[in-house]
Amino acid sequence: MAIKSTFKVPYTNFSPKNNVIKQDLIDAFEQVLDSGRYIQGPEVKQFEIEFSKYSETKFAAGIANGTCSLKLTLEALDLPSNSEVITAPNSFLASASSIVLAGLTPRFVDVGEDMNIDTELLEEAINEKTKVIMPVHLTGRPAKMDKILDLAKKYDLYILEDAAQAVGAKYLGKKVGSFGIAGSFSLHPLKNLHAYGDAGIVVTNNKELWTKLSLLKNHGLRDRINCETFSTNCRLDELQAAFLRIQLRKLDEWNDERRALASLYNSKLADIVLVPVENSNEYHVYQTYMIKVKQRNALQAFLISKGIEAIIHYPIPIHLQPAAKSLNYKKGSFPVAERQCEEILSLPLYPGLTPVDQKYIIDKIYEFYK
Amino acid sequence: MNKNIQEKSEWIVPYNYLPNQFANRLDIFDEWKKLTETSEYTLGPKVEEFERNFARFVDAKYCISTNNGTDALILALKSLGITYGDEVITVPNSFYATTGAIVACGAKPIFIDVDSRYQMNAHLIEPAITKKTKAILPVYWGGASPDMTAIVEIAKRNNLFVIEDACMGIGGSHQGTPPGRYGDIGAYSMHPLKSLNVMGDGGMLTTDNTDLYNWIVEYRNHGMTDRDHIVRWGVNFRLQPLQAIVANLELPKIDKIVRDRNANAKYFDIALKQLDSKVTTPKRVANDVETFSLYMVLCKDRDNLIKFLREKKIDAKIHYPIPLHLQVAALNLGYRVGSFPVAEDQAYKILTLPVHQYLEETQLKYVIDSIGEFYS
Repeated sequence: MAIKSTFKVPYTNFSPKNNVIKQDLIDAFEQVLDSGRYIQGPEVKQFEIEFSKYSETKFAAGIANGTCSLKLTLEALDLPSNSEVITAPNSFLASASSIVLAGLTPRFVDVGEDMNIDTELLEEAINEKTKVIMPVHLTGRPAKMDKILDLAKKYDLYILEDAAQAVGAKYLGKKVGSFGIAGSFSLHPLKNLHAYGDAGIVVTNNKELWTKLSLLKNHGLRDRINCETFSTNCRLDELQAAFLRIQLRKLDEWNDERRALASLYNSKLADIVLVPVENSNEYHVYQTYMIKVKQRNALQAFLISKGIEAIIHYPIPIHLQPAAKSLNYKKGSFPVAERQCEEILSLPLYPGLTPVDQKYIIDKIYEFYK
Repeated sequence: MNKNIQEKSEWIVPYNYLPNQFANRLDIFDEWKKLTETSEYTLGPKVEEFERNFARFVDAKYCISTNNGTDALILALKSLGITYGDEVITVPNSFYATTGAIVACGAKPIFIDVDSRYQMNAHLIEPAITKKTKAILPVYWGGASPDMTAIVEIAKRNNLFVIEDACMGIGGSHQGTPPGRYGDIGAYSMHPLKSLNVMGDGGMLTTDNTDLYNWIVEYRNHGMTDRDHIVRWGVNFRLQPLQAIVANLELPKIDKIVRDRNANAKYFDIALKQLDSKVTTPKRVANDVETFSLYMVLCKDRDNLIKFLREKKIDAKIHYPIPLHLQVAALNLGYRVGSFPVAEDQAYKILTLPVHQYLEETQLKYVIDSIGEFYS
């Protein structure tokens, strides 16, 4: 089952992974089908148990997607409506939109060279309306959670980790998602652990929060006939949960492979571009392998012309999107994030990327800068 | 019924027919394999194909698919600008999601009582209208139609929007028009136990209004105009392509499914006439096609009857024993016991019998005989 891509080296390729687990996926499909339970059945429950164990937390709640999981968690925290949530301006837009959708206000803090929230700037962004810090572990690299924890403690704030891109990542040996009141994951197809469609999950050690999430994601239903609070439907699909359980068993192996590929990129490319080398207290899972380069647009065009699907995540930071107008930021508000938008480029990196293809990419980058 | 599957079921008359429906899964499986080759897991051609198919099926200009029926209702309300401080008139006997969607938009649900067919009582709409009322949200409860002609006329007279909760109505019709096609927007569910169903959650809405369509399409997918630009904060309410594949394969079968369910319902309607004093079937409207997503009757001594039937391995259900206005969730709406006498009375008496397309006459007869036995 080869992907029909027009690229010689596509940005991602699911086939190598699918080929390994194909029979398991088919079996899971048949089993769910025959069970007749397609909504909130045993697969979702089992996946929640297995994922909470993996994340070193007590509880997990499967959700329809990563945006819903952030939004629902913020709603479950029951914050005053004028509360502010601090997050990064260089994430996927859902980090900010989930805050707005929950009726709260996002406040951005610029990022550091690691592309995560600059903890030196964090404290001055905190005011009396701040209730939550939502660090993003962008590209699969953990944010500086020790500093963030200190500040959260000092100002009595919740930490909700947006670990959408970072499943399996660790900071100081501790899994991301387990540091604060809750951690939210997206299990979208481009994530290291993924469904074959949209999916998400929230982990927490707080039983009350978990109970509330379980209610809110399923119409506020305590059981089939008792509705405790009117809510919506943000359930994780039973079928996707069955697929996710199979993927989860392979996750560490696949993350190791990503790290090995990244490490090779790092060693080969360090001389000519800025590479994402992890610090000693970080365990980076490289959901995105992002380099920072000069003449980015020209390099991207060159690579694409050579059949290499290099992508920009993202060319426009959230605070400069039309949607963010009412938040009153402007060009120059976050100089580091804005500069990085001009420099960043994501290279193909996926389990099964062949040494030949990887060498081809490296060679072409050298060729460009020659 | 598929032998192997039936043997596995603990019920003589099961409510859940999904293993039968998907006993032959090769066509789904083939399509899924093709999907994995294209890796189109987010919207994409299969989802668009379904939207075209369904729009054609109900003769709508546009169909926008969603992750579920609740999402469809939320998108419908939001696209019409319904928000904090607004009131939306609906019924107290629906599934929780109808009201949940109104609350999710910040608006206030205003309940009005239902009629003997379990549908919105159109006569009660105008007294419930206030300066804050923005929309009427009737429900095709169980798959039958409320009096849409009257509802639309009242809405026009009072300058209100009509959003149809047609979650149970796919494949039915009211005086020749499909559910969801009377008002500004129709919302549908493809939850596994709906007439058109997928293998998980799924939903969609229909409209003829281009502005609404454009707004909904954008808002449904993060407010994105393209990959790098967002014009407004949006949501992720996307239908899964895996489920779109199932929907595309099931849609052509819907007329037969509805026909079969109608035949079973008719069998029950006729047989239950013998028990007139104990079991009441609702009036059927000439020229309407019900989907019988739920075949509901009103019964004397309901709680003992359902216990008896379940002991007889008949998977009867109650939709629902507690009306919405008496739920804990509704405490702040200020209703109490007695607010909606018809809906409350029905909640005490209502019973749902399995009527799905995989039942055989022996099973239907067994249900009728068992009910007869209970009352004898």
